[in-house]
Amino acid sequence: MMRWGRVRSLRHSRLQVILAVAAIATAVALPVVLVSVGGGVSAHELANLQHAGYQIVVSAGGLHGITHAHNYTSQILAVPGVTAASPVLSITIDAFASSGSVAPVLAEGVIPGEFAPTLGPAEAGLFPKQIMLGDPTDSIHFANGTYRGPPTYDVLVSSPYANQYHVATGSQLTLSPVANQTLGTSYNVTGTFGVPPSVLGPTGAFAVLLPLSDLQAMTGFAVGSSVAPDAADTIQVAVTGSVATNPQALDHLRGQVQSLFPYYGVSSLTQEAQQLEAASGVLTGFYLALSSVGLTVGLLFLALVLLRRVEADRRSIGIRRALGVPGRSIAGEILGNGLLLATVGAAAGVVAGYAIVEALAAWASAAVQEAAQLAVFDPLLLGELVAAVIGLSLLASAVATRAALRTEITEALR
Amino acid sequence: MTEVGVPSIELTRVVRTYGAGSPDEVRALRGIDLTIPPGEFVSVAGPSGCGKTTLLNLLGLLDSPSSGEIRWNDQPVGDRTDRARARLRLEGVGFIFQRFYLLPTLTARENVELPMRALRVPRGERSRRAARLLEEVGLQGREKAFPHQLSGGEEQRVAVARALANQPGLLLADEPTGELDSGNTQAILALLERVRRDRNATLVVVTHNPEVARRAQRHITMRDGVILEDVREA
Repeated sequence: MMRWGRVRSLRHSRLQVILAVAAIATAVALPVVLVSVGGGVSAHELANLQHAGYQIVVSAGGLHGITHAHNYTSQILAVPGVTAASPVLSITIDAFASSGSVAPVLAEGVIPGEFAPTLGPAEAGLFPKQIMLGDPTDSIHFANGTYRGPPTYDVLVSSPYANQYHVATGSQLTLSPVANQTLGTSYNVTGTFGVPPSVLGPTGAFAVLLPLSDLQAMTGFAVGSSVAPDAADTIQVAVTGSVATNPQALDHLRGQVQSLFPYYGVSSLTQEAQQLEAASGVLTGFYLALSSVGLTVGLLFLALVLLRRVEADRRSIGIRRALGVPGRSIAGEILGNGLLLATVGAAAGVVAGYAIVEALAAWASAAVQEAAQLAVFDPLLLGELVAAVIGLSLLASAVATRAALRTEITEALR
Repeated sequence: MTEVGVPSIELTRVVRTYGAGSPDEVRALRGIDLTIPPGEFVSVAGPSGCGKTTLLNLLGLLDSPSSGEIRWNDQPVGDRTDRARARLRLEGVGFIFQRFYLLPTLTARENVELPMRALRVPRGERSRRAARLLEEVGLQGREKAFPHQLSGGEEQRVAVARALANQPGLLLADEPTGELDSGNTQAILALLERVRRDRNATLVVVTHNPEVARRAQRHITMRDGVILEDVREA
């Protein structure tokens, strides 16, 4: 009976109730969207890390900071437990198709035979089973650092680039470090590779893959360069199965590699995953802190609505108290009203947040759409959020309750 | 009847001042001495602003005296906690307010059930008692009506039914027949008298209606916050 009385009481201030519910729903929807999408993107990146084909990365600060890449790769390969070590040099160059069109592409120089084993299962599917870049060891051209051997003149191109510029396997492609075709070198297109989806947009969609020494010689980062001789950006290291799955063994091996190059950063993907998780946790906290502003506004609105209801129900509350209805019963009703509004608002907020993410995943522009499609709805986090909203709303309701119970009966009845 | 029973009430030098110390200070009661034995029917009359409603509020523990003492069955009650006074009101006092004070969001039956619900009377008993009381005040068939759907007289009768809900030992009524026609006035008075007689309840009625006053055993006349006249029927 009284439950219906309560609902009827709320119906008397329908607009205020709708606005309060909308304010709370908005305040809840915001963190739902931010945390779900942010968490989803982090989880996706984490999964990428965990499914990479390599477990250790050697890197250095600055542009193409690793020098003597071929030499260091050999040293790493000599460490027990290492199955592959792949130096990667990434430089943007210009590609001139036979049709005459020119486009900047991301060129990656690799040692073909080392590169393939460092690809994770998802990435490996994007490349041909055999990476057709001539000498798989890259040693013919490199020739102990003399670059006296012949370049392979083989290149793989990414599918988006091949499709855009109608570059087919078997055709010729001129690659040049500068925007001048006459200074470039003609390469044979020996195949294509796919580009993994990236939540950060289409960067790297136009790409070519060629032997490391070819790219070094073409771009001036070969042995003898005063800037970075025999340069690479990173060396990705794959290890045998048992070491890969044992964090302690992996860390031991990482230490061995580190001892070879104390001046370079050597990190395991386990560490990177931990760092990413920590960063993700910080971001989640930041999103929640950001959302707490909206939440505070919503709850203040709720408190105002309840206080307004108490003011409007002043006489009704006075009558109840005059009849001897216990204060706790009146307090329970006001708290119940607050709880009802907060629960409805929080539930609406979760549904709205879910709907917004679904809408973004369906209709937003590319990068946002991709991020939204990765969204993860963590029931525990959402539950905690709803519980926090309900808890805070009870606090807001307590303010209204206190006001109601402090009213003098005879004053209220006037 | 509840465990509070029918109280004997004693007011000793009761003063009630509103806004004490301020320029708007009002001395509503100026030292009232009054004893009401159990089961008495008392009418209170006097001009507007003479303190009748304040006296009623103090008798029903809705308000506390600024000075003086109120005793129920020889026990001081004026300084009890809000919770204890609320309990005494719930169990022992039935109020019929001048302006009815029905809850607008509850139906007639829900209004009558309100005090019983607060006293945790079982649902079935609550429902039966509410239906019987509404029938006694002539409102059968109007149980589901909201106050705004009732006439002034009907509202007053719901207020009477609600006052009787917990079978109080003390009934306090402020102009209980003010909105009623002659027929309904007779019916309500008959009901109140029957309740008083059957349960030996005390009935204190503020009224200007000679018909009501005529039925009372004791007539108190007030003016300017004091009892001017206190006459018992022979």
